[in-house]
Formats: sequence, structure tokens, C-alpha cells
Amino acid sequence: MSTRLEQRRAQHQRYKEDVKEHGKPFFPGAMWHDTVMSLVVVCVIIALASIWYFTSGENPEDAGLLGPRYTEEADAGTTNFIPRPDWYFYFLFYLLRIFKWPDSVILGTVGIPTILLMLMVGLPFFDLRRERRLLRRPVAVVAAILVVLSMGVLTYKGATQEEALGGDATVVADWVDRNNLPASAREGATLFNETGCQQCHVYLGSGSANLGAPDLSDIGSLGGKTEDYFTRYVANPRTFGNNVMPVYGQANGGSLDDQQLGNLAKFLAASKGEG
Amino acid sequence: MARRAPSSRRQQLERAALVPVDWLEERSGLAGGIKYFLFRKVPADINWMQTLGSATLTAFIVQAVTGVVLAMYYKPDPDAAYASILRITNDVTLGWLVRGMHKWGASVFIILMFFHMARVFLFGAYKYPRELNWIVGVGLLALGLFEGFTGYLLPWDETAYWASVVGININGTAPILGPFIVQFLQSGIEIGEDTISRFYALHMLVLPGAIGGLIGLHLYLVVRLGVTSPPWSPEAAGRERVEPGPSTNGNGRAGLVRPGARSGAPR
Repeated sequence: MSTRLEQRRAQHQRYKEDVKEHGKPFFPGAMWHDTVMSLVVVCVIIALASIWYFTSGENPEDAGLLGPRYTEEADAGTTNFIPRPDWYFYFLFYLLRIFKWPDSVILGTVGIPTILLMLMVGLPFFDLRRERRLLRRPVAVVAAILVVLSMGVLTYKGATQEEALGGDATVVADWVDRNNLPASAREGATLFNETGCQQCHVYLGSGSANLGAPDLSDIGSLGGKTEDYFTRYVANPRTFGNNVMPVYGQANGGSLDDQQLGNLAKFLAASKGEG
Repeated sequence: MARRAPSSRRQQLERAALVPVDWLEERSGLAGGIKYFLFRKVPADINWMQTLGSATLTAFIVQAVTGVVLAMYYKPDPDAAYASILRITNDVTLGWLVRGMHKWGASVFIILMFFHMARVFLFGAYKYPRELNWIVGVGLLALGLFEGFTGYLLPWDETAYWASVVGININGTAPILGPFIVQFLQSGIEIGEDTISRFYALHMLVLPGAIGGLIGLHLYLVVRLGVTSPPWSPEAAGRERVEPGPSTNGNGRAGLVRPGARSGAPR
């Protein structure tokens, strides 16, 4: 009996003989096909560029069939812009809605992409059979269908995700009402709404759950979370092992002074959830 | 002129193609490789799906050419980047076309990489002896996605900025290495002055260089190992022989196929 490696070598040897005997030269036949396909690709790119440009206007608001030419100039102080990556990262983006900070966010951001990469690199080493016909590779076919389906669904979900905006003052009054916030917490609530916290956090249904950031509607009802805790946490989340949330304390290079941090902390500590 | 056999059309074509090749060969010796590349045999039953690889290469070349032109007008500076994008799009002659082709070419490039990968998977073309080329391809896919990520910041509009904030923070969740990756990517605590030039350098020097090198290796391996036949083809190159022993034209193939390999007949 020959070993699997010997069989594979013999098969490749047969392949080389078959090609030598019955194959055709790459030029001109196959190269002609490649050239036609390449021309199609260039034409598609030019067509997309033209549709994008000619249906849009100079103004960032004049979006065409394929979106605007550009949005407004970048501004780190914006509070109401919804962060969104290019479409081929939507699946990753949406995975972060499924895996929440802090318990499982690493699964979504690092775990699943790393596993996918390892599966892809390892594929020729798990699949050692010589069989190439699809009907005789049921596992490979099912795996391919599952991968395509899940990537498609995640991309679609990421693309159609509706997001609530921050920076809307009427929302604050609603929070005060629904969460029975004391007067001392209002300053912090406004700040929370204006600083852009809702780009990642949801508060009473408003905001976007990005990067696995938790819903903060009832964060104050969790045990051991005092005003002091929130002040220190927001000032520098790194000291709590959180490397995702930006640093906000001015002492640590962030943008909020001690009084603002204190107000935010009062608001968070007072947030005990509805009812 | 001499009378030609009916099959002479191909010979004529080949001869015409060979004139410049001979010129180069005589002066440099380089032509041997080009000749080998052009006239190497490929299976007669190859399929249109097998043009996806060269289509991906074409998309990359479009990115390279339009990228060079954009670099002539683009300014990688937070104070000037957005204005230079407006100028390229609205004022520079055909600037809209170059930027549009670069912007949309990126998506086409990524899609074609996935299609090409799917084709290789469905054909089982990653199997022996082409494992290494599959891995090179996975590397190209990862680098291509990283190209998309670094390029997305450069227009310096709101979309670009906030997408990069999210993307950088995603990298930040990596265990142990996360904070260092973030620090490296944005060269500071926040996205700022140096981030844009850093992304620019990665986007137009480091990554395209690495992609170009890997494409060279990828193509070398394609030429060396050959193109696979579609697995469903009855004439698939390398298929099991139904009849053991000398084949019809009896050129000693039997000696190369071991008896144990004949049953089961995988292609």
C-alpha cells in the first residue's frame, strides 16, 4: 500500500503529464479570457465611479445613488455622528452588538476573527483528502454555505442597523422623568448626552451599543458602584482593565475636568433604572 | 510565402508575439521566463471562473495607478487633508474619476478577493501541492482588508474619522497587545496630527509593498504548480485512470500510478 503522500505525489505527477499532453498554452486562449475579464473589472470600476459622482453634488448633503462624495470635515468634538466602518467590516461591527463588554467582547473583536483566520490558514492541513468534487465533499460544502450565510446575515444586519442619536436635549428631560433622576444628576445627564457617550452606550433606549459597551440605564443599581467609583472609572478606564473606552480625565490626557467628571458620576450613580 | 498547413494561424500568432521577446532575450536573457509564462500549458478544460485571480490583480493595479495619481494631490495633514479631497473631487481635471475609481476599486478588489477565494475553495485547488499558495492568498486577503482600513481614514471627513475611532478601539480589545496596537496605530492617546500621516505611510508604502511582494510569490507558485482543472470535468488533469496499465497511447504512465491509488478515484 502506498502512503497518502505518495498517492498525492503520484496524482500531481499525472496532472503534469496530462497538462503536458492535452493542455493548451496559456497564450492566447486563456490569456484572452483573462483580458476580457480584466476589462470588465475596469469598466465596472469606472461605471461605479461615474454613478457615484454624477448623481451626487458638491455639498456633503447631496448624496447620490452611491452615497455622498464626502461627509463634513472630521471633528473630534462631534457628538451625534454614528461611527460606521466600510461595508466589508460590517460583519465584525455587528459581532460587537452580540458580544457585550466586558465579559465576551474579546470573543467578538479578537476571538472570532482569530479563529476564522486560523481556520483559513489551516484549511489545507485539515482537509488532506485528494477528493475535489463538491458532491463528495459534504463537510466542505456545508461549511462554505454556513460561512457565506453568516457573513451575509451579519453584513446585512450591520448595514441596516438603526441607531438612536445622542446630542438631543429633549431626551434628557425624558430620562429625568423615567429614571426619577434627582436635580443633582441633571447636569451630568446633559453632559452625558452632549459628550458623545451614546456613540457607544445605550441609555434608556437611546444611543448605540458599539464595541460591546453596556447599557447604562440602571448602572447605579449595581452593587458597590459609588460616585467615587464612577469618577475614577470615567477619568481613566485603563485602571479598571478597560482598554476600549477612551480616557476622559484631564489629568490623564482626556477632555473632562474634575467638576464635569463629578457631575457625570452623580448622574451614573443616580441611574437606578425605571420603576 | 511558403504554403501553410491549416493549423498555421496559431503559429503565426505565436511568431508575431515572439518578435519583441526575441529582442529582449538577445540583449538580457530575461525573455525566457516571459516565454515560459506565456506558453506554459494549462489544462484544456479551464473555466471562466478561473479568471477571477487575474481580475483581482487588475483591480489591484487600478488601485496602484489611481493611488499614485491621488498622492500627487493629496495632503496627509489634518488641517489640509479634507480641503485636498474637496479639491481633487471637485476642481482637479478628472480628479473625481481618479478618486472615484480608487474609492470604488477598493470595494471591487475586496469582493474579487473573496470570489477568487471561493473559487479556489470550491475547486479544492488549495490541496496538495498548492497549500502554500492558499496561505499566501490568506495573507493577501488580510493585507487587503488592512489597506481598506488605513485608506478609510485619509479623506478626513466625519465618516472616515469615526470609522477609524471604532476600528482602532476594536484593535484595542486584544488581550495584552491591545493598548500597544492602539498606541502604534494612532501614535498618541487620541487620533491626531500624526495618525493621518502614519496611516498614509502604511497605506501607500508598507502595505502595497507587502501586497506586491506576496502577489509575486503567489504568481510564481501558480506558474510553478500549474492551474487546476474544474473538479467536475471528465477530462480533469491528474484524474485517476479508469483502466490500469498502459493507456491508449502507452507512454509508460502505468509505472507512475501505484495500484493502491486507483480505487476510489478522487480527482
